[in-house]
Amino acid sequence: MNDIKQVPVVELKDVTRTYRQGDVDVNALRGLTLTINKGEFTAVCGPSGSGKTTILNIIGALDVASSGKVSVEGKDLSSLNRRELSIMRRDSIGFVFQAYNLIPVLTAYENAEIVMSLQGIAADERRNRVMDLLSEVGLEGMEDRKPHQLSGGQQQRIAIARAIAANPAVILADEPTANVDSDTADKLLDIMETLNRKRGVTFIFSTHDPKVMDRARRIVRLIDGRVVIDENRKNN
Amino acid sequence: MEGSNLGVMAWRNIWRNLRRTVLTISSIAFGTFLAVISTGIQDRNFSEMIDLAARMGGGHVTIQHKEYQDYPTMSRTIENCKEITKSALKDKQVKHVVTRITGHTMISTAKGSYGAGFMAIDPLKEDDKTLSIIKNIVKGSMFATSMDRGIILGERLAKNLGAKMGSKVVYTMTDRKGEIVRGLAHVSGIIRTGAPGIDSGLSILPIDSVRKILGFSENEAIQVAVFIEDQRKSKQVAKRLSKKSGTGSATLTWNEVNPELAGFISMKIGGAIFMEMLIAVLVAAGIFNTLFVSVMERLREFGIMMAIGFSPGSLFRLVMLESLWLGLVGLVSGAIVTAGPYYYLASKGLDMTAMIGEGGSEVAGVAISPIFHVGIFPEHAALIAGAVFITTMISGLYPAWRAGRVVPVDTIKLV
Repeated sequence: MNDIKQVPVVELKDVTRTYRQGDVDVNALRGLTLTINKGEFTAVCGPSGSGKTTILNIIGALDVASSGKVSVEGKDLSSLNRRELSIMRRDSIGFVFQAYNLIPVLTAYENAEIVMSLQGIAADERRNRVMDLLSEVGLEGMEDRKPHQLSGGQQQRIAIARAIAANPAVILADEPTANVDSDTADKLLDIMETLNRKRGVTFIFSTHDPKVMDRARRIVRLIDGRVVIDENRKNN
Repeated sequence: MEGSNLGVMAWRNIWRNLRRTVLTISSIAFGTFLAVISTGIQDRNFSEMIDLAARMGGGHVTIQHKEYQDYPTMSRTIENCKEITKSALKDKQVKHVVTRITGHTMISTAKGSYGAGFMAIDPLKEDDKTLSIIKNIVKGSMFATSMDRGIILGERLAKNLGAKMGSKVVYTMTDRKGEIVRGLAHVSGIIRTGAPGIDSGLSILPIDSVRKILGFSENEAIQVAVFIEDQRKSKQVAKRLSKKSGTGSATLTWNEVNPELAGFISMKIGGAIFMEMLIAVLVAAGIFNTLFVSVMERLREFGIMMAIGFSPGSLFRLVMLESLWLGLVGLVSGAIVTAGPYYYLASKGLDMTAMIGEGGSEVAGVAISPIFHVGIFPEHAALIAGAVFITTMISGLYPAWRAGRVVPVDTIKLV
């Protein structure tokens, strides 16, 4: 594990993010510095308004830091234009959302395949990868179902498959277990943990869920936009 | 992303709100239907009017003395009619060529005298393909020869003159020197067209009888009337024939000879284009509304798509492809909706007798049938299809641009 942690995937240095809400400036992040290394299984937790979401948005190139430096795979996000940012999101970042957010007109197979399709990967290779992934997340035989024909847990598995399919540097999972029951949450975490251990995929969770925090090997606790605890849990 | 995948997504997206899509497609189909039917009525009716005008007057292309148009006197004649006819018949667009003497005459009987137009023709070379009113002879028949002593009168003119079949009439006209000359004829036919200007003001005479009275040679006439396959080619044919017909003559198209009819048709076409543009704007507004609402409803989805790696360009293309599908489905629906009524109107026509009367109406001396048929020119059908397609694509531009400008963090709301 120590060897894996030597390769930084995400680096935030003195990052601030200030929003304007009416006449008031809200400091969501206040000089936050954090490094996430390859293969980590990290949970970012904290009370509402502590900056969890903002961190994910900024790492995911969905939002821009007010100051400081953000790098993903060594690339400074502030130096990228709109198109380059979309390529960064496509190739280096995977998202798993709380509300699954699958594309409703695509089948399970097509949802899992979509990012690879955006990358221009050949159809045969896409097919092989998607079928393997669907098998890994336990959805063999459900390729042709549309999202509305799947349960919440099944949809989230597809979302995980979609996030992983393109071999991103990091997967950002926003409360991935919040909308599913306890058993399903366990199964989803099993899947993600297995993928993390087998494939070395880096996960960053934003969560309130004790189950997620129990599984995480690193806990980053935020309060008022600052890291107050950064704890490695080697026993997990 | 592969275009085919985006195309599939776009296809499925347009069916997500079935009612809205059906309404939009219906508006495209209805707009196409209106445009095709109204253009088809125009194309067919104006073509028929032009052909009719040609067959009532100087043909699609008229060759006459170069000053006759401005100074229509019997001194301005064509003196090489046979050569011009022979040369014109070599053009593959040309179907018929006839020579005529036209002008004004005073017709007298014991009851009185009335002014009328006259058209002196060769009865052996003319039929209803070159002179439409021949088929409107309701009494008597066409002259037997070009030296016949008969005269055919409009029904109303005959009534005014108190002339019946076989009645003797004297026609008076001015010759090339400006002298008054007279001819005697027997009424050998009566014409009824329903067009008041024709029925009360036209007479037909045999050409060689008139040549003799006017002192014309057998190769001399006022005009050579050329009839062609497709009236739309009049200008090209006139251009070709003008090179062959010599410097002393003018080669005119039907719209130069009949500017009143040409003006009427231009005005009607202008009005129709305005109406069709209005329809296009209404259809465009419908498509724009559908696409824009559909994009605004999916901002979150577009945000998610951006988050997983869609570029602004691919979202723009996705919505444009949705536009494309709407346009194509709308056009196909339009074709299906239009086919039945078009076939009916092309074969049976739309009877407007109740509105404009049995005799129809008349423009520039050309009778308009009260039964409207459709018959769209292929290039106009292609133009409508192209216009619908382009309108659809233009309507999609702003919604597509809007989709590509989505800011993911504003639309997703991660927590």
